[in-house]
Amino acid sequence: MTSPLMSIRGLEKKFDLSGSLLEQLQFEGGRLRRKQEAVHALNGVDLEVHKGEALCVVGESGCGKSTVARTVMGLLSPTAGEIHYDGERIDHLSGKQVLPYRRKMQMIFQNPYASLNPRMTIQQTLEEPIRFHHPDWKTDRVKAKVQDVMQSVGIDADWGSRFGHEFSGGQRQRIAIARALAVDPEFIVADEPISALDVSIQAQVLNLMMEAQEQRGLTYLFITHDLAVVEHFGTRVAVMYLGRVCELADTRTLFSNPRHPYTQALLSAIPKLEDDRPNHIRLQGEVPTPVNLPSGCVFHGRCPYANERCRTEVPALITTDGGTQVACHAVEENRL
Amino acid sequence: MALLEVKNLDVRFAVRGGDLTALRGISFELDKGERLGLVGESGAGKSVAAFSILNLIARPGYIAGGQILFEGKDLAAMSERELRKIRGNRIAMIFQDPMMTLNPVLTIGTQMVEAIQAHRKTNNKEARSIALSKLQKVQIPSPEKRLDQYPHELSGGMRQRVIIAIALLLDPEIIIADEPTTALDVTIQAEIMALLLELCEQDNVALMLITHDLGVVSQVTQRMLVMYSGRIIEQGPTREIINDAQHPYTQGLINALPQMGEPGQKLFQIPGSMPSLKNVPSGCPFHPRCSFATDQCRQVMPEYVRSGNVDVACYEVSNLIEQEKRMQEAGS
Repeated sequence: MTSPLMSIRGLEKKFDLSGSLLEQLQFEGGRLRRKQEAVHALNGVDLEVHKGEALCVVGESGCGKSTVARTVMGLLSPTAGEIHYDGERIDHLSGKQVLPYRRKMQMIFQNPYASLNPRMTIQQTLEEPIRFHHPDWKTDRVKAKVQDVMQSVGIDADWGSRFGHEFSGGQRQRIAIARALAVDPEFIVADEPISALDVSIQAQVLNLMMEAQEQRGLTYLFITHDLAVVEHFGTRVAVMYLGRVCELADTRTLFSNPRHPYTQALLSAIPKLEDDRPNHIRLQGEVPTPVNLPSGCVFHGRCPYANERCRTEVPALITTDGGTQVACHAVEENRL
Repeated sequence: MALLEVKNLDVRFAVRGGDLTALRGISFELDKGERLGLVGESGAGKSVAAFSILNLIARPGYIAGGQILFEGKDLAAMSERELRKIRGNRIAMIFQDPMMTLNPVLTIGTQMVEAIQAHRKTNNKEARSIALSKLQKVQIPSPEKRLDQYPHELSGGMRQRVIIAIALLLDPEIIIADEPTTALDVTIQAEIMALLLELCEQDNVALMLITHDLGVVSQVTQRMLVMYSGRIIEQGPTREIINDAQHPYTQGLINALPQMGEPGQKLFQIPGSMPSLKNVPSGCPFHPRCSFATDQCRQVMPEYVRSGNVDVACYEVSNLIEQEKRMQEAGS
């Protein structure tokens, strides 16, 4: 197998909650104590994205999927772990050193109402990344490139002189995609790119992203909470829960034979057209806070199959016969 | 007689430069204990329809015509005072965002007692015990404790359970739920929807569910309305519409779902987007996006025709029905 385009190793990210030193000091039992708290957003995530595939990361709010996207893009620096792009480690590089990678990696954000600068025309929005990454290009060449990219995503040439607010959500997301494609990237991180859009518009944007992938040989890291989209779009799927990957498999395998109890519950919760009644697997309780992580398997408090080992020992990702990677003691011990 | 009967409802918004029509000629019925889904994309007018039933549309919006008959009495013509006896009491509402619905500076118990005492003469102790019984009904863990908690101490799913408990406080005949699970995660959404369905069935409460999620509609409702640009374009039994949609828009909406496409293949897409209220197209509002559109569609809004048990507003469908009729007549 060829080496992966993007590889994430042991990624950890903590967000400090405790504030300044004085805010951390607390009086307890007659003594001053320093108390520190952090949100454990990512707790050792390993992922590989291969060239030309669409790796989908799914999970519910708070599972750390957006943190993965942002850390990969260098918008957040990891607390521990490494990120490699095409064999080169990139997470510790300085702003200047990382520039060539920024051209190859682009991001599409969730909310097209926030991601377009309201004071820039569409032409300016699309020219900016090209001028930034190709400072030596002449104006004619930049303009030609903008025309080119506008055409490829189906934007009218006369939109160029208009501003972001004049467009609907779907059109804005099209512009955001055009901006990402303007510098001919190889790798695109899309963080919930269609969640803010209506159903009929979602289909338009998904089709556009699939077309771009075909024509340009793009590689996607696609973050979403919508499993129906994943089934349609993804090559492989990683399911995350509380900052850990609990299952990773080919899309078809994952949907036809989910192994992890959380994946099974998640899949059963999608409302389907052919259902006459809700028929989901009922989980106990709710997602615990990532400030105080549960010991052992982070899912054990809600899992119907949890035993003593699950409460104490963190399960590692193991590869099953079907090729699925799953982090679950019950699967490992053939209890499930 | 139906419990709720909306007849030819028109809702407009008076803005500078003339009125915008948000709802045009909306008519539907809701029977006792029936569950009705209102489906459409943003801008279709589904929330305006829900709000106008309780006359909750704020200025500059107003009901320009039509009737909203609840047990035979017209809510649109009622005084604010009379309406207050119905709102929250006979017809309850559940809104999308549980954090916006609950008062952040009052405990759950205070808010629930307040709602009961606004409609019934009860002392605090009785009201509190009603509140507690409703919290138990929505299967909230340790309900006694919740009464003295503030909304921020609860998770999103629990807050939505509290909201449902508040809606149930006075044993309403109708619950109007406006996207009750949109702000929640999939697993929580599934639980809240299952709970809502169970409670409505138990007490024979009618439910009007506003949502953009066709999967939820098919799981929960018996009949559905599809709205587009302020009009109902298709209405009938949910199963019949989901399995065999008649209107090209409904068909497009269903076929655009990722689960309808082959993995990796292109999805069906409806070109363009919902028109804004400022420039609603003439004739059938869907015609600029419709592949069957003719000159007739561009000029005159189609009337409803019946196909099976479904009412559809589309010339293409009515032409097909005519054709079939003629073929049958020719055959016999």
